[in-house]
Amino acid sequence: MRVAFVGKGGAGKSSIAGTFARLLARRGERVLAIDSDPMPGLAFSLGVDRSDAGIPDVAIEECVIDGRNTFRLRSGLSAEEAVLRYADVGPDGVLLLQLGKARGVRGENAGSHQAFQHVVEGVPDHGWSIVGDLPAGTRQPFFGWGRFARTVVVVVEPTPASLLSGRRLARLAGMPSAPRLVAVASKTRGLGDAELVRDGTGLPVIGTVPFDTSVSDGDREGAALLDQTPKAPAVAAIDELVSTLINEEEQP
Amino acid sequence: MKVAVVGKGGSGKTTTSAVLARTFARSGLATLALDCDTNPNLGLSLGYGEEATEKLVGVRQALDTGEEGHAGSMIELIDRFGVDGPDGVRLAIVSAIENPEPGCPCCGVSPERLLADMDSVEGVVVADFEAGLGTIIRMGDDPVDVVVIVAEPTAKSLEVARRAADLVKERGLGRVIVAANRVRDADDLARVRSVLPDLEVSSIPDEPAITRAERNGVAPLDSAPDAAGVRALVELGERVLSSPISA
Ligand SMILES: Nc1ncnc2c1ncn2[C@@H]1O[C@H](COP(=O)(O)OP(=O)(O)OP(=O)(O)O)[C@@H](O)[C@H]1O
Ligand SMILES: Nc1ncnc2c1ncn2[C@@H]1O[C@H](COP(=O)(O)OP(=O)(O)OP(=O)(O)O)[C@@H](O)[C@H]1O
Ligand SMILES: [Mg+2]
Ligand SMILES: [Mg+2]
Repeated sequence: MRVAFVGKGGAGKSSIAGTFARLLARRGERVLAIDSDPMPGLAFSLGVDRSDAGIPDVAIEECVIDGRNTFRLRSGLSAEEAVLRYADVGPDGVLLLQLGKARGVRGENAGSHQAFQHVVEGVPDHGWSIVGDLPAGTRQPFFGWGRFARTVVVVVEPTPASLLSGRRLARLAGMPSAPRLVAVASKTRGLGDAELVRDGTGLPVIGTVPFDTSVSDGDREGAALLDQTPKAPAVAAIDELVSTLINEEEQP
Repeated sequence: MKVAVVGKGGSGKTTTSAVLARTFARSGLATLALDCDTNPNLGLSLGYGEEATEKLVGVRQALDTGEEGHAGSMIELIDRFGVDGPDGVRLAIVSAIENPEPGCPCCGVSPERLLADMDSVEGVVVADFEAGLGTIIRMGDDPVDVVVIVAEPTAKSLEVARRAADLVKERGLGRVIVAANRVRDADDLARVRSVLPDLEVSSIPDEPAITRAERNGVAPLDSAPDAAGVRALVELGERVLSSPISA
């Protein structure tokens, strides 16, 4: 499975992605969780000890591609080796590869960002499941940061601002080699909310995660939902989402 | 005066920016609300309504499509492409990224350049930033007057807020006021204060009337002006205008 979560700021992308990755791993998959947000987020939802490290400079070299100076992984280092070397090992055996977290210097990490994308796109299909968590909004998705995914899940709250973001993100379907685009209704409070998301984004809604104070309570403590409240309704909903996506990806 | 509003995704930057802008306008100041998010939706929180908000075009897009034949200064552009809304707030979108596009996301018109160029501006500019620290990092050493850091009492949100506060202090980017948002109890406020000691903090309660207004696509200031959360945001606006008191 190769899935990426996108959506408006605060829609619940990291909460869903972190829980989803671990529940998928519990079903026996080898899971690589990818956090391309320059601000920390996914590590909290996975329950991995936070660090700011991305792919270190020693693993990166400068090169010229199409006449442009850019960076790539040091030659001789495969994407898979880079993952095994630089990803953190989290609960349930999930590996977390993260973009180096911004420390405040302009233009820093340029090399590390390029190399990150090479790794993410170079991880072999066979033997890996990838769960990606993108930052808020349209910037990264529209500049190709979700290209590794076969399915892009737009996380949408039943609010006009979140629906508007969802409509914009649905335009990813117009890209060459477009991924399959679906929506998950997040923080729903009533039965009509999934329909609101479907009608407001034009996307098929493949799952619903209810508004659940266990999620924000866990975030207050800085604890992962799955560790803090394993029986929370939101966990059950995300587990159902795992089943749905496994079934859908198995179909041609 | 220039006010920048920063914080984690979904922390409440846009909700806060909208109430601040309208509070300033109501006090008689010429107010420009700058939507600096590449996924803009400040129009909704200001009360422009869904349809009008979706039709607004960013200054950069207007330039791209060649609509702007003889572009003058940025200020003139904002004059041309801005629209007037509730309480006379003028709203302009800087640069939307509304379609998948190849190329470089950082060239052309940018919020940080626009803000730096706006020295001659009269009244108040309220700049609603994109989630995260990208824009304040790119501000370099060009200060604004006040940076409002919106932080929820969660580990993720406070982690972003702490980094923002460090950066603003290190670079001297402006007076920091923390909007502790969605506060439920004294523990919540204590969480915020312990991560961000020695800073001015305004506490904004978790307000069902704000959630409701958001769901209905209306401005909280119109639908629930007397709700505690909305009043707290108005008071935050008054605080921004007043001189700093010690934390
Ligand atoms: N189902 C839910 N019920 C209640 N609160 C939720 C739910 N999902 C997420 N939240 C809360 O919403 C806030 C944002 O969640 P999260 O950080 O996962 O969103 P995000 O989309 O990753 O945000 P960002 O855009 O900053 O990356 C958190 O405080 C979280 O606790
Ligand atoms: N004090 C509050 N009480 C209750 N809900 C609030 C409060 N402040 C904000 N919210 C809600 O939180 C959600 C996110 O708010 P908002 O869109 O303003 O955040 P943002 O930081 O601008 O997000 P983005 O990162 O997408 O720009 C909205 O649904 C809003 O109604
Ligand atoms: Mg996130
Ligand atoms: Mg916003």
